[in-house]
Amino acid sequence: MIARDRNWLLIFAVCVALAVVYPFVAGGYQLTVIRDALIFGLFAASLDFFWGRTGILCFGHAAFFGIGGYIMALVTLNDAIPFASLLGIMGAVAGAAFVAAIIGYFLFFGGIRGSYFTIVTLAMGVICQQAAVSWSSVTGGDSGLIGIPPIAFDVGGLHVDLSQDLSSYILVAATVAVTVLALWSVSRGRWGTVLTAIQDNEVRAAALGHNAPLRLLVTFVLSAAIAGLAGALYVCMAGLVAPDLSGLLLSTEVIVWVAVGGRGTLLGPVLGAIFIQRAQQTISSFNPSLWPLLLGCVFVIIVFVLPDGILSIYARLKSLFKGRRRAQ
Amino acid sequence: MPPKACSPACANASPARPDAMDFLITTLLNALTLISILMLVGLGLAISFGLMNVTNLAHGEFVTVGAFAVYFVQSMGGSFWLGLAAAPIAGAVVGCILEFAIIRHLYSRPVSTVLATWGVSLILQQGLELTFGLGAKPVTPPIEGTLDLVFTVYPAYRLILIGIAMLTLLGVILLISRTSFGLDIRTVIQNREMAEGVGINTRRTYAIAFTFGAAIAGLAGGLVAPLAIVLPQMGVNYLANAFFVVIVGGVGSIGGLVAGSVFVGGLTSILNYQISPSLAQAIVLLAAIVAVRLRPNGLLNGASR
Repeated sequence: MIARDRNWLLIFAVCVALAVVYPFVAGGYQLTVIRDALIFGLFAASLDFFWGRTGILCFGHAAFFGIGGYIMALVTLNDAIPFASLLGIMGAVAGAAFVAAIIGYFLFFGGIRGSYFTIVTLAMGVICQQAAVSWSSVTGGDSGLIGIPPIAFDVGGLHVDLSQDLSSYILVAATVAVTVLALWSVSRGRWGTVLTAIQDNEVRAAALGHNAPLRLLVTFVLSAAIAGLAGALYVCMAGLVAPDLSGLLLSTEVIVWVAVGGRGTLLGPVLGAIFIQRAQQTISSFNPSLWPLLLGCVFVIIVFVLPDGILSIYARLKSLFKGRRRAQ
Repeated sequence: MPPKACSPACANASPARPDAMDFLITTLLNALTLISILMLVGLGLAISFGLMNVTNLAHGEFVTVGAFAVYFVQSMGGSFWLGLAAAPIAGAVVGCILEFAIIRHLYSRPVSTVLATWGVSLILQQGLELTFGLGAKPVTPPIEGTLDLVFTVYPAYRLILIGIAMLTLLGVILLISRTSFGLDIRTVIQNREMAEGVGINTRRTYAIAFTFGAAIAGLAGGLVAPLAIVLPQMGVNYLANAFFVVIVGGVGSIGGLVAGSVFVGGLTSILNYQISPSLAQAIVLLAAIVAVRLRPNGLLNGASR
């Protein structure tokens, strides 16, 4: 266990070092590509915090990403609101958390677990996207809202403006690093241990005095809040928000990022998000309709060949060689 | 994503004569149309999700495949009825392959089933789009025109749809309660080990039951094709609604299936007169979530757990 923690921190440190070095070697455009991928990585980490720790799959996580994005867009596009960027981010996080709290209350305290939870959250994603399309007086309908300004605010006379590629990259990279580290320390501590106990046997965990539905609810709300934060960041960087951001396809893709990166590792999903998006951009440049087809194949392959994600290849090879050596 | 118009909500016909009795009967028949479709789609899910504990996210694609079967037969010059006969066969073929290739290997891994069937769903959607091209496919109903029921006039095809759906449901009830295969299914559902102990091939029973559910969903797709917008992505709307039918109604009985369909379909139809279809859909979903909170075992099974 201790060795595993050390390994995780080692990989984390390497990733942070790479993120620090990257701006020195990469130009403006490449920087923005990685920045956007990192935001989706944060989104993937938020799903992994819930799915990886509780074993319950949320199939509509993009709903929270979209809610965060739309709230951020509406707040920053309204000229009457002061400190729009900061208030927008707070509103995005609070809004996503609020929706998650309501839905989570009904589901977790209603005894809904496993597949049932997956289905309800799936429907939630469908509804959110439909709402974004049909409530066009507020959300701009199919075409969404454009012209969202980059993050900018004043702190004690100091003007912070994140419209530049480098400054926005630093903000995003720092946010992702801090959040992933925080989620990791939460999930390896007592909180995570109890969640594991609930996942293994909820009745026994409850008998030991743990309020299982409340723990699950708080974890879910936290996960949704981070997804909302990721949505708010993305909207400011991209400058637009559209119904796709809360759609089923994004909900699906984030599951692939987590599954490929390795569920429960928090860092793996971030890396998974970055690599798969690179692949997606390459493949979509050949033929846009090929990507969903390949995505479907990736799902099936993961389930049958790599149930523990890409990182498990290393562990498998290691055990393979160990087995060989022992056999000789 | 599919346009909102192809949600089951579009099964509403506008009232022809605006008086109270007319309005009531039309609403009732609209609700009955939607309820019939939901029952047929939900039946397959009740078998796989409710009884075999398999979360099949590709179930909506059986509906799509059924609708495309009708479109394909019609575009080749065949009649609607020939297409409607092909629809359940197409659904069954896809269901059988899916069960054989994927689902039977994952009975003990529920989350993996969710991921794999979702992958299959994406592959099927994109495969249909690559084969048949972008855009909605036209399907013409076998009978145009309306039928004069004393209080209102109503499209004749919708009445046929309701009739076929009811007959199918009756057939399924008879199959499960009167035949030896129905007995096998009921035995396997009650206790799988015991069923194996008395010599029932449970794998085969599961496979046949799953294929059967897929065939019924394909039939539903064929029936709804002239009313809906036939798109490769049309299945997801039926998927979400059908899951709610099964969850709200409770698993394990035809009565629960009917209750769930009446709840979801009836509420959707009534709300559709007042507000936009998307908002109606959202309210139905929220009502379903609240219903599940209050009656976790289904509408008919009381509040105890």
